[in-house]
Amino acid sequence: MEVKPNETKQISPFFVFFLMPGMQIGVGILGFERIIAKEAGQDAWISVLISGLIINVLLWMCFKLLGRGPQTLDLVAIHKDLFGKWVGNAFNILFILYFIMISIILIRTYLEVIQVWMFPGVNVLMLITIILILVYNFVEGGFRVITGFCIIGLIIASPLFLLNYFPLKYAHFENLGPLLDHSFLEIMKACKKMTLNYLGFELILIYYPFIKNREKSQKWAHLGALFTMVIYVVSILVSLAYYHQDQLKDVIWATLTLWKIVDLPFIERFEYIGISVWLFMVLPNVCLGVWAASRTAKRVFGFRQKKMMVLILIIILVFCIFLDNRYRIDKFNTVSSQIGFYIVYLYLPLLFIWQSIVYKVRGHKS
Amino acid sequence: MRFFKGRGKMDAASFQVTSKDFQELLKKFKASDDFLTFQFPNDDGYIISYFNSLVSVQQLHEQVLAVMSNQPKKVLKQLKGDIPMEDMKLTADLKDIQRLVLAGSIMIQYKQDDEMCLLIPCVHSVKRQISTPESEYTVVGSKEAFVESLDSNLNLIRNRLPTPELQSKEFRVGSISQTRVAVLYIDGVVNQQNIKTVIQRIEDIEYDTIVDISFVSQMITDNRNSMFPQLIDTERPDHLASVLSEGKIGIMLDGSPHALVGPNTIISFFSSFEDYFQIWNLGTSFRLIRLFAVLFSVLSSPLYVAVLTYHYQVIPMDLLPILISSRGVIPFPPILEAIVLEGTIELLREAAVRLPAKVGSTIGIVGGIVIGTAAVEAGFVSNVLLMLVALAALASFTVPIYQISNTIRLIRFPFLIAAQLYGLFGIALCSAFILSHLLKLTSLGSPYLDPLYPLRIHDFKDSLIRLPFSKQKKRPQFLRTENPLRIRKEAEKRNPRNDIDE
Repeated sequence: MEVKPNETKQISPFFVFFLMPGMQIGVGILGFERIIAKEAGQDAWISVLISGLIINVLLWMCFKLLGRGPQTLDLVAIHKDLFGKWVGNAFNILFILYFIMISIILIRTYLEVIQVWMFPGVNVLMLITIILILVYNFVEGGFRVITGFCIIGLIIASPLFLLNYFPLKYAHFENLGPLLDHSFLEIMKACKKMTLNYLGFELILIYYPFIKNREKSQKWAHLGALFTMVIYVVSILVSLAYYHQDQLKDVIWATLTLWKIVDLPFIERFEYIGISVWLFMVLPNVCLGVWAASRTAKRVFGFRQKKMMVLILIIILVFCIFLDNRYRIDKFNTVSSQIGFYIVYLYLPLLFIWQSIVYKVRGHKS
Repeated sequence: MRFFKGRGKMDAASFQVTSKDFQELLKKFKASDDFLTFQFPNDDGYIISYFNSLVSVQQLHEQVLAVMSNQPKKVLKQLKGDIPMEDMKLTADLKDIQRLVLAGSIMIQYKQDDEMCLLIPCVHSVKRQISTPESEYTVVGSKEAFVESLDSNLNLIRNRLPTPELQSKEFRVGSISQTRVAVLYIDGVVNQQNIKTVIQRIEDIEYDTIVDISFVSQMITDNRNSMFPQLIDTERPDHLASVLSEGKIGIMLDGSPHALVGPNTIISFFSSFEDYFQIWNLGTSFRLIRLFAVLFSVLSSPLYVAVLTYHYQVIPMDLLPILISSRGVIPFPPILEAIVLEGTIELLREAAVRLPAKVGSTIGIVGGIVIGTAAVEAGFVSNVLLMLVALAALASFTVPIYQISNTIRLIRFPFLIAAQLYGLFGIALCSAFILSHLLKLTSLGSPYLDPLYPLRIHDFKDSLIRLPFSKQKKRPQFLRTENPLRIRKEAEKRNPRNDIDE
């Protein structure tokens, strides 16, 4: 199976800086504050910070995993190298399901936001079909097109990050104290809840072969992950400064509610525009997830990626039909967060340690 | 329209010589009444035949008949040495005879039914005078535009770029029309891969009559189904000269006063040649105004429909009474209003193109003002929407390139439908669809959304902003030229170390 795509399909390493936030910042940023503040209270920002730093360490581990040579260029190759063909393929299938799961969550949660905030009676099935056709259009263009979409999506949605200015006018920074009032365990629990929002950096394991001058991309990847962390930290700081702790318990979408405060002279209620523009942040995530799943499926089974992609899109559609009320979506989110946590915090370090051991043994042998 | 044929078997537009032999060809010629045949100087002399409509009679009299009348009858080979004309051909090849006689050559036979003839080109070309450009008019700058004759156009270009590196390759396209196509480029600057691609695509063209360069453009373009033009046409020689020296390729057709230029990026939507004639700050501001005009033109009526149908909460409180009073009497939902008005504007535009000049301006006033006012009075449309649609129509004409203004006119309609279906979210979805199309589009192989994606910081110097010439030392990166440096000498530094009043 061809691992290395040829030069015309590769991207320059600088674009990894955009791919990282493009994949990590999804729909979680709109409502993560409540979940974390439940555990850590006013020290939630510390847990976001710590979480981001741990993610950077995990990213470093990923690069170490990938950098051993041409036989470890992407996840499928790593699995084959360490576990052989059959066990490796079993893990690969798990990852395919994992990527599909991320895409399902993203689409469904975003559509739930649309249902609650913009169009209560909208026909979800129709809307999902249109979005999936859009995803098909993008993924069909290949990895370069998806990267371009990430970059342009970030550029279009970046003014939305400036909206943090408006709540600051009413901020009470004394909400942030007393500092470090919570125990270490509580902060760590909040870190665990935070994983769903930082998920996405592990896609580097799939698109690593597509980068020219791969070694240079590590710097950009770390910068990208740090950028995501900064955005999340700013977001939670603003929320903590604005909301009282008791309020925060009841507000499901904290950031979105903060957009209601925006006071521009020609727009009365900004959140409609904000949510519509947010499409450009959610769609690159879904496209990358579907692309990663279909590419891994192609590498494992050998079928054409286009056919796999259509199959994956149909699976996503079917799942989204089942998730039709808040309770189910919430449950699905929690389950996915757990699975993501175990994969990222448990499986990746174990893989890293196992690979180091195996290579040491091989080194001794030869 | 375009059928791929294996190249190498036939050259571009190889036409069939449908006559089996010389007699049949001559019979076909003689079937037209403007084909003259006579013997000169007497009944025993040469047989001279030509198409009266194609041949310059003055050249015939002065250069050919004058020489022949003074001398005894000679063999054609010796006659060839006597006549003071260039590029004469002595041949019996049917293909050559057919091609040259139909291009305006005189055929001289030694005696009747002789297959060997001497062909002398005496072309009488009917040319338009060089006039002002129609669609790319600039206030400052030269007012010369291309004309239909390829030779005059090449003259205009070569005068502006007197370098032997400017090379032109000619081909013939169209099996019946046999039209000459010239590909121009500056060797040493242009990317060789682009040249090969263009030449191969031109050679692959299979059609019977090619009358305009836009046919060629549709046949060699990268994506034949896209509304966004990948090859821009220009009718100014100075514009063509300046893009040729950047590293682009120019294609010209005999009979068409436009030249095709490629590869292009989406920035060509907003940049006019006139920006280079002004100081860079003015040029930059006008480009930004154009960007705003394009966005406004495409999005204004869809936003109106979306906001009024679904998201009336977005409208500021002070604007609400105005909108309510203007929309209150209208029996239709906003989408129908918008479609009716857009349709009326399109009708007016199509009609205005085909009306003769004198009637055209009247209809413009009648259509625009009277019908518009009457519609508002009758209660069919609201005056807010009327103003928006009229401004949007005006804004779509600020785009300097005619093909793109057509694109902008039509892109509005999918946005309108999307706005009616899903409001602001629908507009976002529609833009995402268009973005997916643009991301996949290439122009002669280079990506259409350059310099935005792939991000080339260097190319931003001549995109939405236009930096002064001193900052543009290198040619645009997306053209992948062989010689990226444009300015060699370091500009002399102004003396910055002097203090005030020193």
